[in-house]
Amino acid sequence: MILGIDIGGTHTDAVCVKDHVIVATAKVITGADLVDSISGVVRGLGVEQGSLKRVVLSTTLSTNAIIEKKYTATGMIVSAGPGIDPRNYFLTDDFHLIDGAVDHRGREYIPVRKDQVLEVADNLKKDGVEGVGIVSKFCVRNPTHEKQIHSLITDNFKYVSMGHRMSGTLNFPRRLHTTYFNTAVMPIQERFVRSVKQALAELGIKTSILFLKADGGTYLSSAADRLPVETILSGPAASMMGAVALRKNTHTTLVLDIGGTTTDIGILIDGVPVLEPKGISVGGLKTLVRGLKMLSVGAGGDSHVFVANGKLCVGPHRHGPPAAMGGTQPTPMDALRVLGDFEQGDLNRSREAIAGLARELGQDSKDVAKAIVTKMVDTIQKACDGFIGEVNSNPVYTIHEMLHPDVVRPEEIMVIGGPAKNLQPYIKKAFGMKCVVPEHSEVANALGAALARTTAQITLLADTQLKKLLCPELDIDMELPGRYTLNDLISFGTDALRENTTYLGLRDEIEIDVVEQQSFNMVKGFSTTGKNMRVKLQSRPGIIGLWSNK
Amino acid sequence: MIQAKRQTGLIFFPAYDWEITPTHPERQERLLYTQDQVLEEGLLDIEGIHEFKAGLASDEDVNRVHFCVPDVTSRITHSHSISAGGCIEAARLVMEGNVERAFALVRPPGHHAMRVVHGARGFCNINIEAVMVEWVRKNYSHIKKIAIVDTDCHHGDGSQDIFWHDPNVLYISIHQDGRTLYPGTGFPDEFGGPGALGMTVNVPLPPRTSDRGFLYAIENLILPILDEFKPDLVINSAGQDNHYSDPITHMAFTAGGYARLNELLAPDICVLEGGYSIESALPYINTGIILALAGVDYSYVREPDLDPDQIREDPKALDYIEELCDALLDTWRRRDEVVSSPKEFAERQRSIYYDTDGISETQHETLRFCPDCPGVFKIDTQASSGYRVLCVHIPRGACDACRQQGHDWFDSANGRFYAAYLQDMDNDGYQINIL
Repeated sequence: MILGIDIGGTHTDAVCVKDHVIVATAKVITGADLVDSISGVVRGLGVEQGSLKRVVLSTTLSTNAIIEKKYTATGMIVSAGPGIDPRNYFLTDDFHLIDGAVDHRGREYIPVRKDQVLEVADNLKKDGVEGVGIVSKFCVRNPTHEKQIHSLITDNFKYVSMGHRMSGTLNFPRRLHTTYFNTAVMPIQERFVRSVKQALAELGIKTSILFLKADGGTYLSSAADRLPVETILSGPAASMMGAVALRKNTHTTLVLDIGGTTTDIGILIDGVPVLEPKGISVGGLKTLVRGLKMLSVGAGGDSHVFVANGKLCVGPHRHGPPAAMGGTQPTPMDALRVLGDFEQGDLNRSREAIAGLARELGQDSKDVAKAIVTKMVDTIQKACDGFIGEVNSNPVYTIHEMLHPDVVRPEEIMVIGGPAKNLQPYIKKAFGMKCVVPEHSEVANALGAALARTTAQITLLADTQLKKLLCPELDIDMELPGRYTLNDLISFGTDALRENTTYLGLRDEIEIDVVEQQSFNMVKGFSTTGKNMRVKLQSRPGIIGLWSNK
Repeated sequence: MIQAKRQTGLIFFPAYDWEITPTHPERQERLLYTQDQVLEEGLLDIEGIHEFKAGLASDEDVNRVHFCVPDVTSRITHSHSISAGGCIEAARLVMEGNVERAFALVRPPGHHAMRVVHGARGFCNINIEAVMVEWVRKNYSHIKKIAIVDTDCHHGDGSQDIFWHDPNVLYISIHQDGRTLYPGTGFPDEFGGPGALGMTVNVPLPPRTSDRGFLYAIENLILPILDEFKPDLVINSAGQDNHYSDPITHMAFTAGGYARLNELLAPDICVLEGGYSIESALPYINTGIILALAGVDYSYVREPDLDPDQIREDPKALDYIEELCDALLDTWRRRDEVVSSPKEFAERQRSIYYDTDGISETQHETLRFCPDCPGVFKIDTQASSGYRVLCVHIPRGACDACRQQGHDWFDSANGRFYAAYLQDMDNDGYQINIL
């Protein structure tokens, strides 16, 4: 049996899956202590815990810690050299700039000064800092400086992360913030894992724990200890993976996860969710964390409905539950209640709430109810148009891609979340497309967590002129053998990904894709001096075989 | 966090699958390290800097500028349509107000492509700025006066040729002296056609000119001319081969200098031209230009190997540049005093060599020098590749007499020619008559 738990801001959902059947589901209100919520929801499932083979958690822990700045002082040691002044990106006084410069090919121009590093580390230590992030510009082309700094300070700090281990992608400001957040949430993740393990053990669950990441994949808690930042925004990813599990085909599917306050929009192409190319943002800052491409729009079942300047407005905020459920303000759910498309709660309270709006607008209650639902669906549809436009506007850098664009056009819509069933006919009509609400859509998030495969991405660079092979994520920095081709690099990377499953927190069910492959002749004067090859490999986000082979 | 002062659009099209030959300077690798630098610096994440997709220029867009012999399809590849299309997109973004400034960081380049195209010259097949300029004038009639400031190290003989007779396009080229570098033209006495005197300005600088020399010319010659011309649109043909590390030129300009140049010039649109120091110069120059366009501090952008003392100009060279600029400004201000051709028809005979394709061309151009309009002209051209054709250009705002003359020339072309071509700018018309 498999257990999936999604700890959201409002609710904590759990599902228990045996083979490819959902055997139990449970929902509790998320409390202040997340561990209590986990214990509570697991007890609510009422299943035989001893037979659990896999437990996956999707939590808002890191996200909230970052957004609410609930972490202890974290130091940063940064080297950059010429370019944009790195101090523009410093978030606190604990960011320190030191000497050192490496160029885009990874050639050292300015060395790191040992005395300077030690002085900075000394001051951080005096200030009581326990965690330090180390970042140098172009470290993914040459991690030597980061490693030199690391070896000088590692004995003095409990938590240390290095920029090149976060991601092999070029982007110094994002790397700074990613490394900072990662280091800052390390102690929080460590404490959390310890208490979750204890709580689950008390319930008789002893299996290893996996965490859901923003890319819709999972990793073992051993890797989550090292890279906790990857768990940010795993909530929306959980729902998307639920949609992947519940889909019946491999069409291009627009996924709408309609909640109380917001609707999260995502897209599946051939059954695979689309990723954000550069990395996702958290707490208003851009990071290198690989995440699903999603858009959140302020229109949900509980959106506040009101009249402003004689016009009907829906959202973007929520002012409590629907009137039908004891709230004080009208919501789209009340409109659906009046229209007979929602059966729960007090009909009279919904009628009263909608009638208030109707008086203000001088219109019939039924018409106003229809207008509310239309307005909400219209808001979602406009957001979807923008979202698909953005998916299709990614710049391309080759003539081939320019002439043969992969235009994404949704063929159907899958709606999940609380009000999915109630809104289905309206969405179908507005979009003029097939619209599916799968069974169990209300626990799609927990199901997605339960069933998500392990994922990782690695970046490889081979420079035959400098005779160098690099893979920052795996900390590989080695000399290249004499002759080397792009295919050699791809097979080296494939082997490296398979050999490092424990380090990356992977299980052996992975499917490897070549995400990018480029090879350039390097020329000096008029003769070729070598090749510059770049490869990105991933283990693809997807659903474990147990479920998808049904 | 960094906030751009001006909304700035970047069209990046490195054409990673196109090259002239694998070891040619114009090769797949050319913008690779620039992209690395732009990505690592996080330039595209700066609030106010946006990346946009390039587009494709159509045959009509090309025919608005060029006479491609025998036709567009034979003379260009998709890479050229996208490079010109990238410029058009940059212009569209600025014209539609999506951004204040735009930079088309595209290849292949275009400023050596002249009005008649028998093949490729100086790595260029079609003139991407000219295609953009004509697209702007066709679609936005309120844009009357355009200035192109060409800061490539090579004289932009193609752009000069295309706008030679155009009184509404000011073409200023600042480049390494033609006595020491390809294409060997661009001297102060090349000053515009008889109906457009002063609308071409050439500033040949001595080899090894560095930041002080370039910026002197910008501040004391080019900016005063622009102030008086009052263009509706300023374009920088942003070649980057004046850099001290460029392998095929002999200047000593720096990335910081290029950034300052763009800050001073404040162009609406920049278009990449040449620049072949792809590892040591382009990454830093392009970073500097993007920051300068967006109004973001660029003072820490510099080449890792920069040694300003090594590349400082000889004081004598600076004296020479100052005298040259002062003289040019004086001549420009007195451009109306220059006596124009008194005859009805002004003619010129030229030989043009297409170095990239090894083609020789001879041209005989006839301009109807007209008091009422820019004047119609025809070009009788024969290339060693075999084609002899007649090209007729009826300019924007042509008077009835010039318009009639153009049609007469086009209609009377006989079997000596493979074909006759007619560009009618006011009607956005292009005709080919195969003879």
